[in-house]
Amino acid sequence: MALPLDVRDLSTTLFTRRGEMKAVDGLSLSVGAGETVALVGESGCGKSLSALSIMRLLPDPPARIVGGEVLLNGRDLVVLPEEGMLDIRGQEIGMIFQDPMSSLNPVATVEKQIAEVLMTHTELGRGQARVRAHELLELVGMPDAGRRLDAYPHQLSGGMCQRVVIAMAIACSPSVLIADEPTTALDVTVQAQVLALLKKLQADAGMAMVFITHDLGVVAETADRVVVMYAGRKVEEATVDELFETPLHPYTAGLIGATPVPGAARAERLADIPGMVPPLNALPQGCAFAPRCPRVMARCRQERPKLTQPAPGRLVACFAAERG
Amino acid sequence: MAGELASPAASRRPTGGGSSRRIAALRLLRRRLIQAVPLMLGVVVINFCLIQMAPGSFLELMTAENQVSDPATIELLRKTYGLDDPVWLQLVKYIWALVQFDFGFSYRQNRPVIDAISDHLPATLLLMVSSITLALAVGVAAGVVASMKVRTFWDSLVSVAAMFFFAAPGFWLGIMLIVLFSVKLGWLPVGGMMTIGGVGGGATGAGGVLDVLHHLILPTLALGLFYAAIYTRVMRSSMLEVAQLDFVRTARAKGLSRNQVTIGHVLRNALLPVVTILGVQMGTVLAGSVVIESVFSWPGVGSLLFDSVSSRNYPVVLGIMVLGSLVVIAANIAVDLVYMWLDPRIEIR
Amino acid sequence: MRRFEFLGRFSRNRGALVGAVLILVVALMALLAPLFFPVDPLRIVGQPELWPGEDPDFPLGTDSLGRDMLSMIVHGARATLLIGLFASAVATLIGVSVGATAGYFGGWIDEIAMRAAELFQTIPNLIFVLTIVVILGSTLTNIVIAIGIVSWTPIARMTRAEFLSLRDREFVQACRAMGMGDLRIIVGEILPNALPPVIVLSSLVVAGAILFESAVSFLGLGDPNVASWGRLVGDGRLLIRSSWYICAIPGVAIMITVLCLNLIGDGLNDALNPKLRDR
Repeated sequence: MALPLDVRDLSTTLFTRRGEMKAVDGLSLSVGAGETVALVGESGCGKSLSALSIMRLLPDPPARIVGGEVLLNGRDLVVLPEEGMLDIRGQEIGMIFQDPMSSLNPVATVEKQIAEVLMTHTELGRGQARVRAHELLELVGMPDAGRRLDAYPHQLSGGMCQRVVIAMAIACSPSVLIADEPTTALDVTVQAQVLALLKKLQADAGMAMVFITHDLGVVAETADRVVVMYAGRKVEEATVDELFETPLHPYTAGLIGATPVPGAARAERLADIPGMVPPLNALPQGCAFAPRCPRVMARCRQERPKLTQPAPGRLVACFAAERG
Repeated sequence: MAGELASPAASRRPTGGGSSRRIAALRLLRRRLIQAVPLMLGVVVINFCLIQMAPGSFLELMTAENQVSDPATIELLRKTYGLDDPVWLQLVKYIWALVQFDFGFSYRQNRPVIDAISDHLPATLLLMVSSITLALAVGVAAGVVASMKVRTFWDSLVSVAAMFFFAAPGFWLGIMLIVLFSVKLGWLPVGGMMTIGGVGGGATGAGGVLDVLHHLILPTLALGLFYAAIYTRVMRSSMLEVAQLDFVRTARAKGLSRNQVTIGHVLRNALLPVVTILGVQMGTVLAGSVVIESVFSWPGVGSLLFDSVSSRNYPVVLGIMVLGSLVVIAANIAVDLVYMWLDPRIEIR
Repeated sequence: MRRFEFLGRFSRNRGALVGAVLILVVALMALLAPLFFPVDPLRIVGQPELWPGEDPDFPLGTDSLGRDMLSMIVHGARATLLIGLFASAVATLIGVSVGATAGYFGGWIDEIAMRAAELFQTIPNLIFVLTIVVILGSTLTNIVIAIGIVSWTPIARMTRAEFLSLRDREFVQACRAMGMGDLRIIVGEILPNALPPVIVLSSLVVAGAILFESAVSFLGLGDPNVASWGRLVGDGRLLIRSSWYICAIPGVAIMITVLCLNLIGDGLNDALNPKLRDR
């Protein structure tokens, strides 16, 4: 049986005035039913663009998918015409975004925004859609759901808005859920609630989930497997336990080292890795991480390391890791 | 899921619901009406200052056509405006007269100013409403088309057309329209509001309404296209701006097509700046109709103003200024209510 | 250095550049009018109602009295541009004074200033201008002042907004700490920083003022000694059946001038806010 989501060698390029930039470069990613795969990396490393590429929601221009496949239950979305994608989005793949307050239309009621998904993809009429929207709000744990139906987004808190977005994303029971930093913009206490909610919904419906985050603490709580991205490429893939036990890529190690102990104040900056993600139009010739890498070798600056498989189910792209 | 705190805004007031919106609308109405009082007072004071600054006495101004020789009438005016009183008392009396809708007497028409103006007001309001409707319809449609086809031939065409209509003086555009559609093509009447000795039952029947509409087309174009050009530009940039916002991406992720998102989500948000501008411009629309009315002999307040200005009929001129401001305030309140209806985020302090 | 960048951005905007060049041509025309057409433009020089091109001596034809249209247009440019510039100057003076005071002092002064702006936006502008002109007399000065009085509100709002954002900056606080007076801070320190967007706006006010003046003159309420373009349109009004070009030509002149001023304003705006342009 085909996997719910199987991304193979996906490449997305930004065509800008300052030249072409490979924002996503040969990304492969597979997610099984009921599985959560975390996509991890600093901001600007291509996580969000990967998600938007899967949804085919890239701003075009400048971004375009230039290669690879996105197999959804065995069907390639990259070659699907736009009309076909309309049936996929919201029905087969649900998506949750980073900033819940700005993800909702400020001049439409909660009910209208949820009912819209239902009426687009199902035969439900206006009245039935309202009833279903009410059920969905209760399902996502919206306090006082009945009264919130007629509320506008500005009357809700960030956490409540994110619940509405989640309700919209799962309204048509999609087989894949993509969550792009769903908790980043929320208060810490609300973060935990939303994470727990997502886990529960996923377990109940057996959805495949792609969880995008820069926060390894969140990864440890939610993910089964982790894909680490740097400068548009996958640099490491492992199960959560393996990754935290023995990170192979120096970048992963740096990320883990930079993650504060649970309970301590969260640091946005990854203090242990000096420097910044290089701009995509100025990538070094060899390994993109070489300028910041503590284990850099001469070869790293010449040649780009390919993904190798040191153990079953593990991938890493690093010369230093190959040597052990 | 216990313990999640609602935002302060959410906990303080009832969420959603038609009735709370209605209460808010009434509150807005009350507040705007209260604010209108000092505004009108300001208009009246400016009016009074103009009278004081004018060469010649108040009495001469009020009877400027100099056809008034009747001493009784002059005595009446003297009393009404208290011309022997100190200036501040004159102002109070002037305000008091205006509050009672006593705008003075027009000797030329031999009737109270207020009657003369209210006779002409409906024609002006008709022209204003039809021009604003045209401007909104054309401006919004053109702005939406340009933004959906941004950086294409259609976008350029719309932008160029908007530039031209934004720069063309309305009176000149009106004359050119007359030359083309009335003189050369003979399709539309040169001016006026009704055909003289017109169709059958006059202005009352369906034929009369059609006749008025027929006469309305050219003045509406001449007055409305300028504003259509403004709304086109505002709408286009506003559509492009809103299209960048996060919730548009959310709507696309729901499986809505580009057009569905544009019409269902972007449009309403993009309308807000257009409505704001509409409110600001009410006064200029009314003023613009003065010139257009004179071009098309449209029997509105503008024509009355033009006649009164030419014949130095000051009471009518000043009356039009006060009543015109009143119309603008009323229109502004209406626009505010529309804005509130469009944008639920508006809260009344 | 920054100035060159600014000029570069401005000149990359083709529309703005065309506008600037055309305005320059119109301004030169206005300045040099007596050189090219030393004869009084209002003198009768030929047959009446000659169509443009009919007689090579009068490329734009003659009007109903036999006056040279081209000469009247060129001379009219002086009146139109001058009135536009001066009216905009009056509006800018009022607007900047009111806006700066409101933005700098805030509180009840701000409240009153903004109410006043609202008041002047409420009175239908052209009706106000006509009322002033008819009561105080149709002189050039009165018209200029009247147009200035109805055009200052947008400038005041913008100046106020700029002052609001600037008044609490470090350099202003430093000036206050040094004991500098309010007036010196307003005029010497804040105003220069607040001015660029205000100047852009006043270039648009010039365009608006030209439209205003042309409407007043068209209605026959302009200064009787000045033959501005608006008056030429008004004069030709009765002849549209036979010689509509008499109306059309001065109108085109108004339109081109206003169009160019708008293009320049847009170009300046884009050059000031390069971010908006990239969008």
